[in-house]
Amino acid sequence: MDPFALIRGVVGTTEDAARALVGRERLRLAVTGLSRAGKTVFLTSLIANLLAAGRGARTLPALDEAVGGRIRRVRIIPAGTETIPRFDPEAHLGALAADPPHWPERTEDFSTLSIAIDVERRTSLGGLLPERRVTLDLLDYPGEWLLDLPMLRQDYAAWSAATLTRLRQGIRAEAARDFLAFIDALPGDAAAEDALAKRGFTLYRDALRDCRDNHGLRFLQPGRFLNPGPRGEAPLLWFFPLPPTAQGGLAALCARRYAAYLEDQRTAFLDPFFTRFHRQVVLVDVLGALHAGQEAFEDTAEALAAVAAVVSGGNWLERMLGAAPTRVAFAATKADHVPTRARDALAALLEHLALGARGRAEASGAATSFHALAAIRCTEDAVAMLEGQAFAAVRGVLLNEGRGATIYPGEVPMKPPEPAFWQTGFFRMPEFRPPRLDPAGSVGVPHLGMDALLARLLGDAL
Amino acid sequence: MNAATPPPRVIIEEPGKPAQRLDFGWEAAVAAPLPADRGWSTLSLLGIGLAVLLLGFSVLEAGNFVAAQFAQAAWLGWVTLAVAVAGFGLVFAAIGREVRSYLALATVDRARAAHARGDAAAVKAALVDWQARLPEGRARAEGLAEMPIDAARALVEATTLAPIAREAEALGRNAAIQAFAMTAISPSPALDVLAFSWRGIRLVRQVAALHGFRPGIAGTITLLRRVALDAATVAATDVAVEAVLRGALSSRFAEQIAGETAAGAVAARRMILLARAADEACRVLPRG
Ligand SMILES: Nc1nc2c(ncn2[C@@H]2O[C@H](COP(=O)(O)OP(=O)(O)O)[C@@H](O)[C@H]2O)c(=O)[nH]1
Ligand SMILES: [Mg+2]
Repeated sequence: MDPFALIRGVVGTTEDAARALVGRERLRLAVTGLSRAGKTVFLTSLIANLLAAGRGARTLPALDEAVGGRIRRVRIIPAGTETIPRFDPEAHLGALAADPPHWPERTEDFSTLSIAIDVERRTSLGGLLPERRVTLDLLDYPGEWLLDLPMLRQDYAAWSAATLTRLRQGIRAEAARDFLAFIDALPGDAAAEDALAKRGFTLYRDALRDCRDNHGLRFLQPGRFLNPGPRGEAPLLWFFPLPPTAQGGLAALCARRYAAYLEDQRTAFLDPFFTRFHRQVVLVDVLGALHAGQEAFEDTAEALAAVAAVVSGGNWLERMLGAAPTRVAFAATKADHVPTRARDALAALLEHLALGARGRAEASGAATSFHALAAIRCTEDAVAMLEGQAFAAVRGVLLNEGRGATIYPGEVPMKPPEPAFWQTGFFRMPEFRPPRLDPAGSVGVPHLGMDALLARLLGDAL
Repeated sequence: MNAATPPPRVIIEEPGKPAQRLDFGWEAAVAAPLPADRGWSTLSLLGIGLAVLLLGFSVLEAGNFVAAQFAQAAWLGWVTLAVAVAGFGLVFAAIGREVRSYLALATVDRARAAHARGDAAAVKAALVDWQARLPEGRARAEGLAEMPIDAARALVEATTLAPIAREAEALGRNAAIQAFAMTAISPSPALDVLAFSWRGIRLVRQVAALHGFRPGIAGTITLLRRVALDAATVAATDVAVEAVLRGALSSRFAEQIAGETAAGAVAARRMILLARAADEACRVLPRG
């Protein structure tokens, strides 16, 4: 920990203490999840349902129960002079409620929002004392960027070695064939030619894209290669991993850009948003990983552990300063893709998938929990007749076709499946139309398990 | 995995027929529990029954009497009729006014309930109703119908509710000074209580008038009940009461007699609180 981080930590801790003293706590909630895990939808549903709960609707019964019905008001805190875009739940909700509906676009930039929750105090005289106001700080960002965090602890040589080892294995090697051929053909003393740098970058980026979009892989670095964000593909990105045999000008250029890239991500992303928070939700598309095959499944687990090593694991000093999360909730998202009876299995499977991440969080003293969650419930239980046998399935309306469909999601194993399981081949879950929603979201949105997750995550803080 | 479980599969329903979006009946499922309808208490039924009997029989009695007078002489009949009509007219006018003022207060409940439900259309309708009743010269927000509900709410708050709150506070300050003065000069504590109650009720009615309510007797009683409820929360949530009090009492007049009586300070504080609570009770929209 550098001195500046220490000072920031001390200042942050003092502020937390002062706020707690006057009943104006601030809770920073980190929502982490790889791309397409469901972060944006989660935030939209969380905000809509909390606001509705603040108006007295029983959208989050388990949370209500956990805090003894003391939530009085919930509102969005008006914008100040932030330079960061605001997360826009109304727009997302409007698009989801529209006809035909749209899910949120791929997230390309940060956005933040704070909501104030006024709660009655816990004491028996709570009704007479002023209410406490807990401010919940939320952040949305492109999930791809999350994997830049582990890079901050590696130098270029170490990162290159690790990345290339991974890249030469399994389906990655197939997807990265052109790129691997390119670097293998490069002379070890290649000069610092921008044309070469750019060519390598393009091939590497295309390999990453192929891995993400066609093979369901997630441990793909650097994040901005896949999702360049509002600033586009600046020359800063023109680098790629090189084997240790490369020692010429090109390797030096790549190393310089690597360092500059990380510095940029650190100041824009890690320092402002990920050095200090109090609660964490880890969203995982468990079913998607399962359907994408063994490599994707294991890759997801590895990516989660790598991120958790940076995000959830505080050292003793950070823990003492209250900079590490005290509660971490893991959630298998899109639980409405499986019938009710398979949801416990989904949560159990998540427990295995997130083993590494969980270890990190618990080692730094956080309490962890596992949930199956549908931020927006899009299906109902149904029965599918397959080969003359009845199987529990779900029924929803397909997003693009607008037609009803019954979907049998396959068996959800309670633990990482046997090799034979993977023989069945890949399956891509279709996207569903959200149910009928009120565009103003005045009564929240239908969900599964959001209340239990929030009760567990925030119950003690309210 | 055992061979018995088939791989995942999508079975599309009959082609060519677009499906309805799912509807979980979410609105109904999460609707805030309605406050239990209190209905009519035995006592009110009794009271209303007695009133109906009294009024009904006196109307019949009067009718008989008018008929009897007509039998005696036409002119006598006419005069009696005029007296009866005038008398009962006034009585019924008073009842009508009571009922109206009582119902006017109910619009506040309706608006707030609509707001709690998040029913934008109903909130706007209630706001328009309420604006129509505001006293003349009070600034009103224009074009609420076209606005998103958040904007409408913020505009009403800024143009109308905030100024009313300020005026209510001024009324509260005046009442506080008067209450303070009264304790200083009144000869007996019993008289104090009477004077306070009278001043307090007047204050509540003044504040209600700012919001466009002119409560009659029943209205005033309802209003006082609501204020009593709100006073608990206002007292708890408002540290500002103390500050206003100090501001009010540092006027020269009050300062001369300050310290003479702790009861005076308590009374003054109650008046400021009362003004706030009354304002809270009469607002069409809950405070932000
Ligand atoms: N059925 C269902 N689909 C979901 C849910 N949450 C997310 N999805 C799907 O997952 C996609 C990605 O979600 P998004 O929130 O954009 O992921 P992000 O990249 O983590 O922000 C959406 O477009 C939806 O199709 C859910 O609760 N139920
Ligand atoms: Mg997103």
